[in-house]
Parts: sequence; C-alpha cells; structure tokens
Amino acid sequence: MIDFSSPKHRSKFGYMLLAPAVILMALIIIYPILLSVDISLQDVRIARVGGTQAPWTTKNYDWLINSEEFWNSIWVTARMVFFVGGTSLVIGLATALLVNQKFKGRALARLFVALPWAVPEVVATVIWAWMLDSSFGVINWLLLKAGFISEAIQFGSNATAAFFAVCFVMIWKGYPLVSIMLLAGLQSIPAEQYQAAKVDGASVWQRFFYVTLPNLAPVIGVTMVMTTLWVFRDFSIIYVLTQGGPIGATTTLSMLTFEQAFSFFRMGQGAAVGVVTMIICAIISRALVGRFAKSVH
Amino acid sequence: MRRLKKVAIAAALALSTSMATLPAFAETLTFVSWMKGEPGYGDWWNEVIQKFESEHPDVKVEMTKVARSEYADTMFTMFAGGTPPDIVHLAAFEYQSFANEGWLEDLGPYIKKSGMNLDGWAGQSTCEWKGTTNCIMLLYTAYILAYNEKLLKDAGIEAVPTDWNSLLAAAKAATRDTDGDGVTDVYGLGVDSSGGSNMMHDMLHFVLDAGGNWTENGKPAFNSPGVIEGLRRFKEIYTEGLTPKDAAAGDMRQLLVEGRIAMRLDGPWIWNVMKKADPAVRDNLKLAESPLNPPVGGTSNVIGMPSDISDEKKALVWDFIQVATSKDMQQRFATLGSSPAPMPGLDYSAEIAASPYFELFAKANDKASAAGIDRLPKGLELEFNEVTKLVFREVQRMLIDNLSPEEAAANIQTAVERIAG
Repeated sequence: MIDFSSPKHRSKFGYMLLAPAVILMALIIIYPILLSVDISLQDVRIARVGGTQAPWTTKNYDWLINSEEFWNSIWVTARMVFFVGGTSLVIGLATALLVNQKFKGRALARLFVALPWAVPEVVATVIWAWMLDSSFGVINWLLLKAGFISEAIQFGSNATAAFFAVCFVMIWKGYPLVSIMLLAGLQSIPAEQYQAAKVDGASVWQRFFYVTLPNLAPVIGVTMVMTTLWVFRDFSIIYVLTQGGPIGATTTLSMLTFEQAFSFFRMGQGAAVGVVTMIICAIISRALVGRFAKSVH
Repeated sequence: MRRLKKVAIAAALALSTSMATLPAFAETLTFVSWMKGEPGYGDWWNEVIQKFESEHPDVKVEMTKVARSEYADTMFTMFAGGTPPDIVHLAAFEYQSFANEGWLEDLGPYIKKSGMNLDGWAGQSTCEWKGTTNCIMLLYTAYILAYNEKLLKDAGIEAVPTDWNSLLAAAKAATRDTDGDGVTDVYGLGVDSSGGSNMMHDMLHFVLDAGGNWTENGKPAFNSPGVIEGLRRFKEIYTEGLTPKDAAAGDMRQLLVEGRIAMRLDGPWIWNVMKKADPAVRDNLKLAESPLNPPVGGTSNVIGMPSDISDEKKALVWDFIQVATSKDMQQRFATLGSSPAPMPGLDYSAEIAASPYFELFAKANDKASAAGIDRLPKGLELEFNEVTKLVFREVQRMLIDNLSPEEAAANIQTAVERIAG
C-alpha cells in the first residue's frame, strides 16, 4: 500500500490525478496530429482510417514547395493576419477604452460592442454575402446613391475588393473578442497607479503609454495570439463570401487545405498543407506569447 | 410494502406491454441523401422506402438529409472513416472518386443474378468504371429554357429565342433599369458565374452550340474553336452586364421567380421552383426548348452500395435498389419528379396529361441523348472538381485582366493537361 501523503510519494499522487486528463488530451489532440503527419507522408488521393498504409514519401512536400498555390496562400494568409489582426486590435482597444469609462448607457454600449461576436459566424457571413452582392447588394446601392462610386464594386470578381471584403467581415466578427479581453485587462489595472501618475503630473497620453499599455501588454499578447490563430484557421467567412477567389486572392492556408483534401480529393497534399500550417501557428504562438510575457517583467 | 410491490408489478407489466407494441426491427439500413424533403424527388424516395419497408417488415430504412453543398465532403468523410451509409446515393459526377478507391460494390453479379435488364437505361454507361458496374443511374436529364413572358414582351421581344443570336438579342433587350435610378433591375439572362459545376454546365450551353466540347475522345479540348467561341459568348454576356454578376445557379432561380431575370437555361427541376413563385409572377413564367443546340444534358445521380458491408446487408441494399428501379417506381419517379425516368419504354400519357411541360422535358432528353451529350467531361471524371476550379480561375482571369478567349482557352488547356497528366 502506497502512502500518498508521504513526501516521497506525494508527486506520484499528483501524476495519478493528472493521468486521465493527459490521456484524454493525447487521444483528442495528439492522435489527429499524428494521423495528419502520417497521411501527409503518403502519396494518396483518399486516405482511409485503418486501411492499407501506403509507403512514406516526401512527394506531397515536394509538391508544396513547388506549388504556386501554396506560396500564394502563405502570402494571402500573412497579409490577412497582419491587416485583420492589426485593425481588430486598434478597434478593440478603442472600444474597450470607451466602454471602460463611466457614462450613461454604458451597459447598452457594451452590449453593442459584443453583439457581432455573439452572432453565429455562418449566419453573419451569409447576411454579409447578400449585403455585399455585386448586383443586388445594399452596400453597392448605398455607395452608388451616396455618389461615392459610379458603378457597382464587383466584390466577387475584383481581387482587391474581395480581399478587403473578407477582411472587413473578419474584423467585424473578430474585434469584439479583442475588446472584451482588453476591457477585462483594463479593469484589472490598479486605480492607484493612475492616481500616482496624476499626482506626478502625467498627462492623459502619458498615463495611456506609461500605465495602461504596459499593464495591458500580457492581455494584448494573448489576444494577438488568439486573433492570429483565428485568422489562420478561419474557413467559413472566406468559404461563404468568396470560396478563395477570385484567382486565389482570398485563398488562405485553411482554404487550400480544404480545397486539396475535400474538393480535389488529394488528401495527402491537403494534410501536408495542414501540417505546415500547424507548424507556422506553433512558431507564431511561441514567439508572441514569449515576447509579451517578457514585456510584463 | 405490498402496495409498493403492486406498483412495481404494474409498472413492469406496462413497460413490457408498451415494448411489445413497438416494432422490433431486425436490421436498419442507413441512407444519406440531399433529396430528403425536396418536393418531387424527395416524395419519390419516401415512396420507395415505404414500399421496401412493406416488403421487408423487419427492416427499417433510416434516411438522413445532408445539404448538396456539403454532400461530397460528408460522404467522403463517412467512407474514409469506415462508416459509409448502407445505401449509397451520389451525384453522377462524383461517384468515380469513390469507385476508384474500391469503395463501391461491383453490381454486375447482382444484375446478372436478378436478371435486371438495363438495355436502353438512360445514362447507365456512366456507371461503368474500369470494367465494373458500380451503380445504377437514377436520372438523365436535359436543359430547357425558362423565361418570363412579360419581361420579354415589355422589352419588345414577342417570339421565344430559337438560336444564339436571338437569345443574345433578347437578353440585351430585356436587361433594363426599370425605375431610372441608374441600377439595373432586370437582367436578360441568368448565367452562373460563381464557380463550381453549375458554372461549367452554364458555359457548356455556349460551347456545345458552337460545336465544341470540354473533351474530345477523352482528352482535354479546352483550346478547341468551339470552347473558344463558348468563352467569347460567356464573356460578352458577363461584361455587357446581361447577367447578375458572381451569382450562383440557386440565386438565379430565386431571381427568376422574383421577376428579376428574364431567361435562364436550366434543368427540369426549375419547374418545381417556378411553381413556388408569387402568383403575379408565376403566370408569366414559361418553359420552352433550349434555343441552343444541342441542349446540355447529362447524368444526374446514382445509387449503389459500399463494398465493405456484410453480405446480409448487401442483399438488403440490392433489394432496395431493385425496388427503386422497378417499373412501377420508375413510373412514380416520372409522375412525382415531373421528368422522364431512366427506364425505357414507360407510358407517359398520364404524366403528359397532368404536367404541361412533361413532353418538353422528354423531347429535350431525347435530343441531348441522341447527340451523346453528358455534362461530365469524359476522361476527366476523377479530376472534375479540380478542372472546374481551374476553369473558374482562368475565366476570372479573362474577365479581370481582359484576356482574349483564345488566351484564356490556352491557359485552361495548359492547366488541365498538367493535372490530367
């Protein structure tokens, strides 16, 4: 009989308690990753779980390196991450600062800020797809009526318009989460720090740059990681709005993975894109979390 | 205590009685389809299931709906995960990928044993894959012209178009800004430009009419004169704003029943869509022969069975297929679907009397079938989705960069040859 209360065996008890969670994590996270890596190393159109294993080869990765579509999707994803992430952060911070102030109707303002986040993504995107429709969409109608444009913008067949339309909907859907997280961060900043800064004669901007931002840095770090990963893996907004077109202008890595695996039935190539996406996401997450965690100290 | 015992006995008796009244199914056949709940074809499936279950009282068919847009992905995931549905229902242009993996049972021995006669069965040759029969064709259909008579008359077009020139002229005349606000309200012709198989089929009208086809003798022929002319016509309709831009076939059907599109080339299923239009619009919606010759036609959907289910289940699924392909159910198919069934030699006099356009559909089918038309490009079956994507990409490039149809055709041919090997 092991006495788990003794200092010698106390750690074993901890491991025992952790074991179910670790095993579950391994089953639902690690197994699919290993399966993806395995499929990415097979020259198969359609892989079957438990079926005959094809010999391992680097053919899919050779295709990846020489594929114009892959490098285009890397470029599109990078631009989208930068634009959506940056803009969401700016809008999210601005709205968080706004609803952190005391004013009449603050509860209602907080509700409106969070509303896009609460709407199911596909429902919201379908609504936007209709609003952005090239021929009958209300956005084009409003722009034409207001005289901002002389002819309808072809959101589906103009590469630049399609890219920004996708980014716009992503920002609309994504900024509330940034705002909510930053609001929580703002509320955790001790009021004494602001009072001390005021006593020292710090202006509003100085208080923002020397008190608010340093205190918010860890939250910003986590939020940026989450936003970046969200843009990387988001599929439904792009699929509903543009299906990755026109001419690959909105084909991100997740779109390319889906296209190869489920549209073209080239599962080996799709898995290879997925594995590379996972590696890129891991590197970015590590870099961002590490950088912002350091900035706290 | 005695009271408690009585209650327990009564409860046990009630439970056992209620269990006895529930049907005890020895077997359940799973069946996934995008047609569940659809007026017409969905009703036909219900009747097939009902008949099969009446002939097999101990078997239940469990039908589940999966939307057409996510159908191939879902089926693919089910097969890849080793849990395919027992009754396999697939589109005629996607079954080849499943057959190529050896996932579909060879129906040849079953057909031979049962003595099923498939001579003259429309589109059945499409079900032959690498020397085996992997499915039974459920629908071969041809396209017709749906038009809004009032919109054409308002535009000064009295006669229904009968060729490309009259179709183009009618489309130009009918495209109008009716309220003078500078925005087009009515489009002459609804052509899918959103990518996907429907856009390929919509473009095929122009290609076939110009004497071309996507493939010739199983080889890509995207740079042939017929395809180039087809691309030129598509570009003209798109750039002159005669069709709503970047809209899908489903949107076009909706716009037609809303009176926003004057004409649309589509399959017979559009008749069921037109019936749902507002009465004020519905009275003006008519069908006619396709002005383009030969009309687009082709195989639509197939039924088969997975290769790795038990022999007992295979026998039951084959019974289900036999019910679906029996003469009386084929007749019901024609009645409920308002379109000719693939089984030859059926008497359609009742359907013709009941449906004003049934004869038109049958005539269009005969015309497309006689010309050997199949909207699925022969030789590119496995790569069809990829080819569709490539064609869409190069057509978009043609429109955005204002490339000539010759340049676009050459780009498509190069890209398709690269993937087709």
